[in-house]
Amino acid sequence: MNVGFIGLGLMGRPLALHLEKAGHALHLWARRADTLQPFARVNAKAHVSAAEVARHSDVVITMVADAPDVEAVCLGLDGIAEGAKPGLIVVDMSTINPNAARTIAQRLGEKGIEFLDAPVSGGETGAINAALTIMVGGKAEVFEKVKPLFDKMGKSVTLIGDSGAGQVAKACNQILTGVGVLAVAEAFNFATKSGVDAGKVREALLGGFAYSKILENHGQRMLDRNFKPGFKAWMHQKDLRIVMEEAHRMGLMLPAAAATGQVFNALVGSGMGENDSISALMMLEKMSTPEA
Amino acid sequence: MKIGFIGLGAMGRPMVEHLIKAGHELHVWSRRPVSTDLAIASGATRHESPQALARDCPIVCTNVFADADVEGVALGEGGLIHGLPHGGLHIDFSTISPSCARRIAARYRERGIDFVDAPVSGGSAGAQAASLAIMWGGSAALEPTLEQIFGVIGKRWVRVGEAGAGQVAKACNQMVMVAAIEACAEAAHLADAAGVDFAKVRQAMMGGSGASRVLEVFGGRMAERDFQAGVMSRLHQKDFGLLLGEAVKLGVPLPVASSVCQQLNAAQARGQGERDTSCLLRVLEVADTEFSTGEEVQ
Repeated sequence: MNVGFIGLGLMGRPLALHLEKAGHALHLWARRADTLQPFARVNAKAHVSAAEVARHSDVVITMVADAPDVEAVCLGLDGIAEGAKPGLIVVDMSTINPNAARTIAQRLGEKGIEFLDAPVSGGETGAINAALTIMVGGKAEVFEKVKPLFDKMGKSVTLIGDSGAGQVAKACNQILTGVGVLAVAEAFNFATKSGVDAGKVREALLGGFAYSKILENHGQRMLDRNFKPGFKAWMHQKDLRIVMEEAHRMGLMLPAAAATGQVFNALVGSGMGENDSISALMMLEKMSTPEA
Repeated sequence: MKIGFIGLGAMGRPMVEHLIKAGHELHVWSRRPVSTDLAIASGATRHESPQALARDCPIVCTNVFADADVEGVALGEGGLIHGLPHGGLHIDFSTISPSCARRIAARYRERGIDFVDAPVSGGSAGAQAASLAIMWGGSAALEPTLEQIFGVIGKRWVRVGEAGAGQVAKACNQMVMVAAIEACAEAAHLADAAGVDFAKVRQAMMGGSGASRVLEVFGGRMAERDFQAGVMSRLHQKDFGLLLGEAVKLGVPLPVASSVCQQLNAAQARGQGERDTSCLLRVLEVADTEFSTGEEVQ
């Protein structure tokens, strides 16, 4: 298959290479030419625009930062829509607002272009190990066509529903991981300030109903004081912003997510945005230390 | 009138002075006798225990700290309940939980003693100026007696309902006031982050529908960065502990109050407990200030 790939960052690069290894021909475009360096020796062709990528592809995958970027790549000047063959499938793996995904799907649909929103969970490690969780929104028959590509990138691939449904699932994922990280950080800080070993607490809780992957993995990294990303705090902040914007649009109450979002705001404001979001622990520690 | 008074702190002391000046005969007791020295100098009489004080005075006022203190003075060993006569009256000005006030009232009722919870708003400045707002709960028949005391120490008093109702009103008062202080702090912090002078913002707001007493007083302290004077933040933190505890008992969601309480908790942990609650601005500033834990991250 001819696969276009736009957005070759930490996540996109290993994913594109997985597809190439599986025998697909890559068609690439990047704003900065040095982004394409890792693809010099593989079956990949660089193009001058997203439109050109689309002209040569059966499926174009995008993995960029936010909704305006997806919109620009798909519908902007020299964008995918300008070069698309009839029946082209665009798969957006970025995390964006569900409603924005629905709008983009509709506008591409008007031009005869299919669209799937397919955000992922699992971070850079999941991308490198082709072990991502992929949550997909769109038509079932389009999903079936792309499924072989998804299977090369992820371990758990689920069609959640119509357009936007993948982003809704991702938003739910970010509520759970964001609130979960903060909950573990609060519990550990509570234990420490009570004079109790947080490591022992974690060990005990792993056997009970408070067990979670976050308690296990993120909790261990907190104990190791390993705040390297992982998943950067500013990205979690962005994802929770999307969640809160959607909640606001729908008039939906998300008190715990709202509180968590404020902690991530403070993390980014205090210059910790590039750290893993488990740095919330350091924030809580700072806030429970007497002023110098 | 013969009046007993227990709790001679920043609030109690000026109240006692006003009552003496108004011609009442004051009797006092304190755990630490030194606390009564000023009142004695003004003409009050000292007693050995709350019980002894109550035997001499059928009307006793208290202004102490928390649930346990009021309960101890009222119902504990050597407590007021053992000295007050049938028909006696205990007026408590402390801020305690409504359920504690109701519990004390019920125990007194068995012995024909009246209890009035009469928490006040206005701070030590209000106590000194005799301009306190008093919200009270208890039997309506007590109003004429209470007016002789309330009229001396306060400007406004409202009977909210039966015993405990005054404390409910106080909890509502604290919730609205401190949430407004936190809102002021957040506005000040936002203005500052956006590079705008909060003093000007406050001045502009005072003319509009965002104007409030809290913006005037606490917002003023924030604009001047004067966190020393006023109401100690640890007292507000104590009040929020009480009202969130009541919310649990009643199954009432208080989302804003619970967030505000977390900010107050942080103020305590940061060693700001003795400072005015306008220090909530400091808590916000600390949260998004760059800092180093000395740990290697990248």
